[in-house]
Amino acid sequence: MEFVDTRKLQFQPQLQPQQHQHFHVLAVDDSVIDRKLLERLLRGSSCKVTCVDSGDKALKYLGLVDELDDTTSSTSLESSSSSPPPQPLQQEGIKVNLIMTDYCMPGMSGYDLLKRVKGSSWKDVPVVIMSSENVPSRISMCLEEGAEEFLLKPLQLSDLDKLQPYFLKSLDNSCEKESANSSIDSENDDNVVIINNNNNNSISKRKVMSPEPHHERSRPKMKELAVV
Amino acid sequence: MEVDQMQRQCLDYTKSLFLEGFLDGQFVQLQQLQDENNPDFVVEVVSLFFEDSERLLNDLTFALDQKSIDFKKVDAHVHQLKGSSSSIGAQRVKNCCIAFRNFCEEQNIDACLSCLQQVKQEYCHVKNKLETLIRLEQQIVAAGGSIPTMEF
Repeated sequence: MEFVDTRKLQFQPQLQPQQHQHFHVLAVDDSVIDRKLLERLLRGSSCKVTCVDSGDKALKYLGLVDELDDTTSSTSLESSSSSPPPQPLQQEGIKVNLIMTDYCMPGMSGYDLLKRVKGSSWKDVPVVIMSSENVPSRISMCLEEGAEEFLLKPLQLSDLDKLQPYFLKSLDNSCEKESANSSIDSENDDNVVIINNNNNNSISKRKVMSPEPHHERSRPKMKELAVV
Repeated sequence: MEVDQMQRQCLDYTKSLFLEGFLDGQFVQLQQLQDENNPDFVVEVVSLFFEDSERLLNDLTFALDQKSIDFKKVDAHVHQLKGSSSSIGAQRVKNCCIAFRNFCEEQNIDACLSCLQQVKQEYCHVKNKLETLIRLEQQIVAAGGSIPTMEF
């Protein structure tokens, strides 16, 4: 049975004692396995998760696409009609606290999705990009476009630690830029650290989200990282 | 067989799969995500992997059977298979895919066909292994025991 798509997947996660609202993650990935994995990881952190299998569907969910339009074109669809763009779902009470998207997807890439989101009224929602390929130029390109974090696939439990600051910081809104409290708001190079991991020829560029040191991956050398 | 004997057998079998390179640490991650609230997580993910892989292998066979091969398409399928095998820790399948992609880039038909055969074989191997492992685990659970996991 295919594990796919949106609303069916919204469960009520376990409530933490002082949990006021569910942290809602929109997860975008064309791989059914990765969606399953991501969903499990996030639910385990008491998040509400909505999974979609493409950038187009993500945009639809966010209300950034006029349903009647042909979505195959990459031109700005919001401005294609003479009337103002459709109200994003947030105005109807649907909140998205975090968007996690795969980079490499057929059709719209995660990078394209990132750009669309950052150019919309959802621009203050943090976006995390995931990729199976450790390509420094790709990473910096995404970070420069406003991605908060770049995670290497396959995702692991330890990757959740990098997302903790978002779970903690976000309370109520999906739109307001949070004031002072955490350093994750700043997207500058101050917080970017180039880490040499175990493999000889690869560089992993990650935003340092917390004082915690680089997480050890509990698995053998990923030989593929040497392949560019 | 006693539960603890079953557990030992299961652990030994799991270890052998790691030693022989069929599985890597990512599989341990999956096991760690299985708990009382998600008691069938591993089986569910593995089942998705089987379905997904079989679909991709069919697509690959079809794509490489064409008179004029679209290597981009072939590469896209291999990329997907690489991703999913990596996500469940099916190391040998993943490594096959890495080699496969290189040949796609070179547009080397013969090498691609050979890779396809190899990846099919590796997939069959790991499928058998995983099915055996799951059976062992289910026997343990049915006998009231818990599935032993490896520290990796």
